[in-house]
Formats: sequence, C-alpha cells, structure tokens
Amino acid sequence: MNWTNRFNAPIGSKFPAAAFLLAAALAIPAVANTSLTAIYQQQSIRFTHLESYGNDTAIGVDDPGFATLLRESGAVLTWKPGERYVLITTDVPVVVSFSIGDRRYDVGPISLQASFAPYQRGDEAYLPFNEVLHALDLALRQDGAVAVLQPQLASLDVRNEGDRVALLAHGGAPIRPRIVQQSGTAVTYEFDGVGTTLAGTRPIGAGGVRSVTIAQSGTVRDPKALVTVQLMPGGAPAAPQQTDDRDVLLGFSGAGGGPAAPVVAEQSPTPMPPPQGPPAASTPQAAAAAQPGNSNAATTVTGVTVQRVAAGVSVTIAIAGNATFEWHRLREPDNRFWVDIQGAQLQGPPIEQNEPSPLLSMRVRQDDPTTVRVALSLSGPKSIEVSPSNNALDVEVGDNDVADVPRSGSGSVGSVVAVSEPNAAFVTPAPSDEYAEPQNPQDTTWKFGPRGESAPQYVPTNPRLIVIDPGHGGSDRGTIHGGVEEAVLTLDMARRLRDILVSRGWQVKMTRDADVDVYAPNADAHQELQARADVANNAGARLFLSIHVNAYINAGPYGTTCYISKAEDVAFGRILETHLAADGTKDDGVIKSHLYVTLHTRMPAALVETAFLSNPSDYALLTSPAWRQKVAQEMADAIGEYTQEYPVPNQPAQ
Amino acid sequence: MLLVIVAAGTWYYLSHRGAGTGATLLVYFTKLDGKTLGDLSVSLRPPQAGESAAEHLHNTVLYAAVQAVAGPPDDVQAVRFPPGTRVLGVSVDGSTATVDLSKEVERQAGGSFGENGEFKGLVYTVTGVPGISAVQVTIEGEKLQTLPGGHLELDQPLQRSDW
Repeated sequence: MNWTNRFNAPIGSKFPAAAFLLAAALAIPAVANTSLTAIYQQQSIRFTHLESYGNDTAIGVDDPGFATLLRESGAVLTWKPGERYVLITTDVPVVVSFSIGDRRYDVGPISLQASFAPYQRGDEAYLPFNEVLHALDLALRQDGAVAVLQPQLASLDVRNEGDRVALLAHGGAPIRPRIVQQSGTAVTYEFDGVGTTLAGTRPIGAGGVRSVTIAQSGTVRDPKALVTVQLMPGGAPAAPQQTDDRDVLLGFSGAGGGPAAPVVAEQSPTPMPPPQGPPAASTPQAAAAAQPGNSNAATTVTGVTVQRVAAGVSVTIAIAGNATFEWHRLREPDNRFWVDIQGAQLQGPPIEQNEPSPLLSMRVRQDDPTTVRVALSLSGPKSIEVSPSNNALDVEVGDNDVADVPRSGSGSVGSVVAVSEPNAAFVTPAPSDEYAEPQNPQDTTWKFGPRGESAPQYVPTNPRLIVIDPGHGGSDRGTIHGGVEEAVLTLDMARRLRDILVSRGWQVKMTRDADVDVYAPNADAHQELQARADVANNAGARLFLSIHVNAYINAGPYGTTCYISKAEDVAFGRILETHLAADGTKDDGVIKSHLYVTLHTRMPAALVETAFLSNPSDYALLTSPAWRQKVAQEMADAIGEYTQEYPVPNQPAQ
Repeated sequence: MLLVIVAAGTWYYLSHRGAGTGATLLVYFTKLDGKTLGDLSVSLRPPQAGESAAEHLHNTVLYAAVQAVAGPPDDVQAVRFPPGTRVLGVSVDGSTATVDLSKEVERQAGGSFGENGEFKGLVYTVTGVPGISAVQVTIEGEKLQTLPGGHLELDQPLQRSDW
C-alpha cells in the first residue's frame, strides 16, 4: 500500500522541529483563549471547546466547530464516553486512532507520539489539536490577525519501476496540478489551493527524473505548492492523471523507456529519499522515521529452488540483502504453509508449479509491494524446519507426518540472522487470497457448516420440476439504471428459460410470472425471500435457480457471477458458470455467500447475477433481447448437463 | 559483539510479536473481482492499565469494525460500503460481536456484489480479533433479516465460513 511509504509531513514529539513549527503557528491565537475562529475553504469556523494543555492545545470532540470541520473535510469521528479509542476516519480513507490516556496515536499503520495524551473530562474527550489537524492534512497558519486552516500537499510518494517513476501527490483539499513551466530539463507543476511543509529538494535518479523540488508560493489564504521535477537527458513527463479529487499521479519515463505510461497501483514504492538541506523541519531523524522499510529497499528474492534431500525436500529461497520473515501453516486437513519475506522484491516472474510429494505445489509471488510470499501445499501434516542463513532461507519439508506441529514463526535473513521460537498458540487467519476461491473443483477451501436448511439426503418429490425465481418484482424494482429495471429484466430472462425448459420436457414453476411481489407488496425482505424459497421447498423441486441483475455504486465492475451457499449447490453452480462463461461478458466465477434464497432452499440452488446494469457494456448486453435469450439458453443447457451428471437416485434422469 | 547484541534484540522483538505488544490486526477488504480478499495491517494496542479484559475486547472490536468499514485508502480498488456508512457502536456477547451500522449502509446499488463484498471484509476483519468468531450486524440498533431489497441474510451472526 503506498500510504505506508508516503513521505508525510512529520509532526509530534518524535519530530521535534516540525512540532515546534506547528506549535508556534498554533500558539498565536489559541492558547491564550479558549476559542478560535479560523478560515477553512472560505468558511469561517469557530472552535469553542479549546483548552490550553501546557504549551499545546486540546480540542473537545463535542466542539461544534470541530464537527463542522470534520463534516466539511469528509471525516467521521467515532467515540462514546467511557470508550478508549477516539477514531477519526478521514476522507482518504484512513483511520486515525487516538487512545484516552496514551500519547501514542496511529494514522493507518503508522504509530506516532502526540505531544500529550488525549483525556476525558465529564462526557467529553479532548484531543491534541495539532495532531488532529495534521491527520486531516491541514495546517494552522496566520494571515495577519486572521487564522487560516490551510489544506496541505500532505504527501508525495515516489514509485520507481525501472524506466518509469510515478509521483503520487495527496492533498488536504482537491488538487488539480497544472504545468506552469516546462523545458527539456525541467517541468514545474503548480498545485493551487494547498500549502506544504514538504519543501526541499530530493534526489531521485531513476525513470528519467534527476530530482524533485517542492516549494511553497502564493499567500496564506491562497496557497500554492510548486513541484519542480528536474529531468535527466531523455526523461519525459506524462499528463497528470487524477485518481480522485485529492490524489494525482505524475508519471515520468527515462530515455528508451517509451511514453510515460500511467503507473498502476500495485507497483513497488520507493520511499522518498531524505531532503537535502533546509527546511529545518526535516531532521535526519524525522526523515528516517518517515521511510519505513528503507533499510531493506535493495533486498531481493533472487530465486527459489526445490531439491530432494534424504528424508524430504528442501526449498531454498535465495535472498540478497536483509529481510525479516514470518511463516504460518494451517491445521490439518488444510495442509498449507507460507512464508512472507518482508521488505523484499521478487526478481523475475512469479512461479506456480506442481511439486512431487511431500509437496503438492509451490507458488512464489510479490504479495504486496514489499512482501514476497512463498506458499507450499503439502501432501499431509509434514514436519517443517525453517532455517535462515546469510543469503537464503531454507524450508525443509519432511516425508513423515507429524502431530502437534508449530503453526507460525519468524526471524530474519541477511547480515543479522535471527530465528524466533515457533509459536504454536498464535492463531493466524489464512492468507487472504488463499481462502477466497477454491483451488480445485472439490472446493476444499469452502467450508460448509450446518447453517442452511438443506438436508444432506434431499430427494426431490418432483424430480421433473425446476423452480425459476425472477429476482425482485412488484413493489421491489431491484436495481434501476437508465430507466431499465432489474425486476423487468429478470422476469424476461426467466420466461425465456421457462420456455426452453418446457420445450425440453421439464415442468417449470415460476415464483412469479408477472411483475408482482411473491409474498405481498411492501412486505419485508425476509417474508419476500422466504416466500420464494417456499415455492421450491413446498413443491419438492429438483433445482432452484434465482435470476438477478447486478449493480454497484460505480460503473467499474462487470461480469457474470453464480452465487451459492450450500454444499449441495457447488456442482450446480460450477456447471452454470461453465455454460455462462460464453455469454460475452466476464466470467466472475462461483462465489459462496450467505444469500437468503440459496441458503433456505433445500435443493441444489444458485443465484445468477447475469451482468451489471451499472456498467455500460454490460448494460448494452442486458438490454439486448438476443443476449437475454442466449443467457436463458446457456442456463437451460447447464440444467440439462447437471441433471444428467447428477441423476436423482432411483429416478430417471432427463 | 555489536552484532550479537543486535541479533539478540531482533530475536526478542520477533519472538514477542503476536504475544502482546506489537500485535497486528489484518483489515480485510474484498477486491473488485467480488471475491478475493486483500488486507492491510494495522497495529493493535495492548490492554491499558485499568482496562478490563472485557473492555479491551470491546475496544478492540470497535477499532476493527471502524477500520473495516473505512476500508483501504481510495487508491486501492476495493468493494466499499456505501458512502457515509458509519459504525455506531459495538457490543460483545461471548464470541459474537454485534456491529451497529448507520442507515447509509442501506444505500446499496442493488446487486449482490456490494453486499457480499462489504460484509465479507467486515466479518473477516472483526473475526480476526482474538476471541471473536461471529459478527451480528444491526442497523441503527435494529436486527434486519436482509437489507431492503437485499440478498444477504443478516438476521443471524455471520462467520468466515459463510464465504
């Protein structure tokens, strides 16, 4: 995540010089009084719950001015009297957590020290005002006698990818940079409306960029931050790319690197090198503290080899440089092991290959910008020994099964080698992506408990009956885009499917065959959805298929998805997905979820989200009768294949 | 000699992670494929003087829920709760955490995609708090069977195994 590598303007006692500057700015109006009026985005905000705290200022969370500031800056505060944490979710979003009685506060993953600990008096919590403003990417400035809450160019990340460099700017207000000066050797961007404490010059020396200089101009009320990029010969800038209101990406490429293509989010961040010379705010200590992982920036995983040894196999992870590692394994019967090499880059492409016993497979990849993950699937609960050395991490997997194995451990590799005691008690969730999509058709990673109402030996009393459920209808229109309603589309597709199935000799029952509610108009969702499940359950149907249309709050996502909930649904969902993969939009696969109708139907069931009405290309498909017919055809084919492959015991298959 | 001291220090630090100070919480979010989870790591704080075990659990669950609803920074592609969704409060009963969300969560786009992804991230994150295995969602204090016009069953606690 780039935010862990942001060069943030430092603050707090960990950064004494910066703290001094802000404290000095704040001291002018606030400490002497218990109120402050400050201009924020042309609006005058009056803070009345301010208190002096030594040389600092505390602000009460019930301050009406504070509430206005939070609202205007898109932040939300969560706290109740008696609770320990005062949590501010900013517009980024990032969670800033203050803790009553503790000077430490966290901004996302970064822990900092406030100048004093937040405290509660009466039913109100008081927070260090400087740190709150900093978290909101604001600085208090003085314009003559007027106090101004000045939005800041709060961070500028440098991301380095070979021939390309991207600078990611984040502002405390919307930022729209424009080029104010450009030559063959330099380009200057002006960020109107934000000031900055990041002033200084930092060498880059990559991606066609020699150095970056940040300076402030404009006035206190109309600040501008100037970012001048000195180019190397052949270096070329791309047009600024606005990722959202407050974030902009400036891309550059070196000679021979081709046009500076936008740098996508998953690339390796390079912490900003320390500034050269002034300003005073940037002490070496502050600069070092602002660069997590800098000491490991050059560490690479140069290769992974698997070798047969006497009583098993040895997986050798070759590492150049210093890194820490952490390994975990899951409990039998899920015999997976993984080790994360932290602060390291993978050299070369990811690896994914099958391996002989005691392994099943091995996967090596860059898991996040600073972590390389080596994941092993084991053929059983094998013994594992992890041994770091100066230039490698050895993972020895034994042929024999063992009981009560340690589940996690950690250490470091490189010039300082350390191994911790494995910690058998520490419980760790499965690695995120390992858990989400089953690795094989047997769906071993989907866990099915006794949550649904399905019976393991469900035998349909009417094995020739398919129940089709057109999603929504009547008082519930489902999703609506461009005047097109989900309730109408689902009924249309359901009717098309019914006609095909009937022509093939099936009996079909529709939960609704008109634009109506199944239970009653304006019934609650539970009654409505249970009524749909009841149609299938009461009829003893062979299969239940609910047809829907997807949507999201933005136009990005598209594709077809089959949702299932019960173990009995898996095969049906898989076969549906296989047929629907040819429908012309993206195949998003089968997703297990806790959906009501698939949970509460006793027979194999699936809910198909055919496509996204919120996506323009999917919208075009959904509004095409020919496409809806095609989808109906594919669903009918899937039902045919499923019932042939999984015949009902003692009853003829269709 | 210096190397030995450094090594010992590293050992001490590493071997005590997860056992108390320095413990981390993974904040899970669903990626835009609608199913794969991504995560980010935030640090958890140890119990404070005077904070009982029950209070500590409550506070930690609140922290986890707020992190999950916030999601990752917006340059990370993730399935997100509808804008304005807030955590109004949490409570803990046994190993079940109740997370009370504001009404904005009902402003769904209408498909299974958002609901599924949002609640998967929330449930994975909150059940990452040691001692919590299930999450009951309420909206403005009320237990709902599903979101209005929704698909996901919400009237019983959700667990990781629901996905």
